[in-house]
Amino acid sequence: MNIIALFISPLIAIIIGMFFLGLSRKISARIHWRYGPPIYQPVIDVIRSFSQMSISHGRFFDFGIIFSLVGSLVLILFLPIGKLYVLTSGGLIAFLYLMLLSPFGIALSGGASANPNSSIGISRKFLLSLAYEVPLLLVLIAVMTHYNTISLVDIVKIQASSGWAFGSWALVLPGIAYFLILPAILGVRPFEVVKAPQEISSGPIAEFGGKHLAFYTLQNALHMFVGLGLFVDIFLGGWTLFGLLDPISGTVWGIILGIIIFLIKMLIVLIIGLFINAVYPRFRIEQAMKYLWKWPTLIAFIGLIIVMLIN
Amino acid sequence: MDRNQISKWLKNPGKMANKYSFHVVYFCTGCGVIEIPPSITTRWDAERFGIIPVASPRQANLFLIAGYVSTKTLKAIIRTYEQMPEPKYTIAFGSCPINGGMYYDSYNTITSLDKYIPIDGYIAGCMPRPEAVFVGVTHLWKLIDMDKADGYKRYREDYKHYRANQEQLFGDMDWPPLFSKENIK
Repeated sequence: MNIIALFISPLIAIIIGMFFLGLSRKISARIHWRYGPPIYQPVIDVIRSFSQMSISHGRFFDFGIIFSLVGSLVLILFLPIGKLYVLTSGGLIAFLYLMLLSPFGIALSGGASANPNSSIGISRKFLLSLAYEVPLLLVLIAVMTHYNTISLVDIVKIQASSGWAFGSWALVLPGIAYFLILPAILGVRPFEVVKAPQEISSGPIAEFGGKHLAFYTLQNALHMFVGLGLFVDIFLGGWTLFGLLDPISGTVWGIILGIIIFLIKMLIVLIIGLFINAVYPRFRIEQAMKYLWKWPTLIAFIGLIIVMLIN
Repeated sequence: MDRNQISKWLKNPGKMANKYSFHVVYFCTGCGVIEIPPSITTRWDAERFGIIPVASPRQANLFLIAGYVSTKTLKAIIRTYEQMPEPKYTIAFGSCPINGGMYYDSYNTITSLDKYIPIDGYIAGCMPRPEAVFVGVTHLWKLIDMDKADGYKRYREDYKHYRANQEQLFGDMDWPPLFSKENIK
């Protein structure tokens, strides 16, 4: 079981991540009253990037992007996808550490390319990580205190018996705070400060072409999957759906239906996020930091205090 | 997706993917660039053909030269073209890159861009409407299907000739040749 999950969960993450990338392009196009590209357009883009020649700027340029892709793949193994999970130890603490691997890899790679636009992009990427890690840490501490465990798998199991975290009123405020910082974690508008094509010519990936760009797109898809999946696992109860799966839990069909319910929840969160993404312009970096350190941090902090008072 | 294209996809996925995913770098010093914003936004929506603008030439595979080329901007055009990864395609837009257009007798105009970098196709007119961009792109699809959009191969084969033309215009060029001595015939 564990061995099968080891191969299947990254595969699901890459396929669903690419599907979400295509869907987000299509939905934003429909919001703009355009027809939009076909849903499989990111797959075509990745095939094209792999078929092109790529220019390397040294050993660290190649190493960094691989490092970032591997960091995202390792993160997938810690994330319970429905009832499919590989690594149960470590939990949220390991998750928080590993979440920094992929920005670090991109930074290493962009730094080796010695492009001034890349340097600006990297500094913005780390500033943005610094800005959203504070409310993220407060949110995760609140969740860990409330459920008295650091294991993601246990958190999902408790929610299966006692209802979703978003439904229990103690964790509503941390849930709202996580949803507010979700665009910053995914690096999309209104927090698109890192890539900003019109401003710093796509930032850290300014020198990426060919295979490097293809790896970056795959990494982006995985990162999107992780950001959405963590929200669903912590606050929306993972695979649970009002006790619907209780009669068939333990069977193969239970596992498959659990994964499908998990993915549908992710899709709903993605679509709600896209409505924000499609209509808002981009923050400047200091506006983004001011916002992230004010409202989500305040909400998460009040949520943490409430959780501690209850316990 | 067209169902009778599946065999083509299986035979040569790289070529077909290049066809349907043009990441374009626009050269924006000519007046032709005024036609680009309508063609990539809501009114004409180039993204339904997979065409999106990118900011950096490293990520692009189509180079669209939008209008008038002067001696000074030609340097930037050559450098941008040489930075793009192969396979790459070039489209010159408007009548100025073809023969100089209305500035044909100016001392500073490049009257035929084809002498300095290879062009895969021209869109004639002053100005061509955004529909003409899409007609140009569909023609480029046909050329790619027939393997006739071989500008980057010609640049590699005849690099000595192109470089000689560039050096004749600029005198000393402040960047080294793109292809090393062994590649130059």
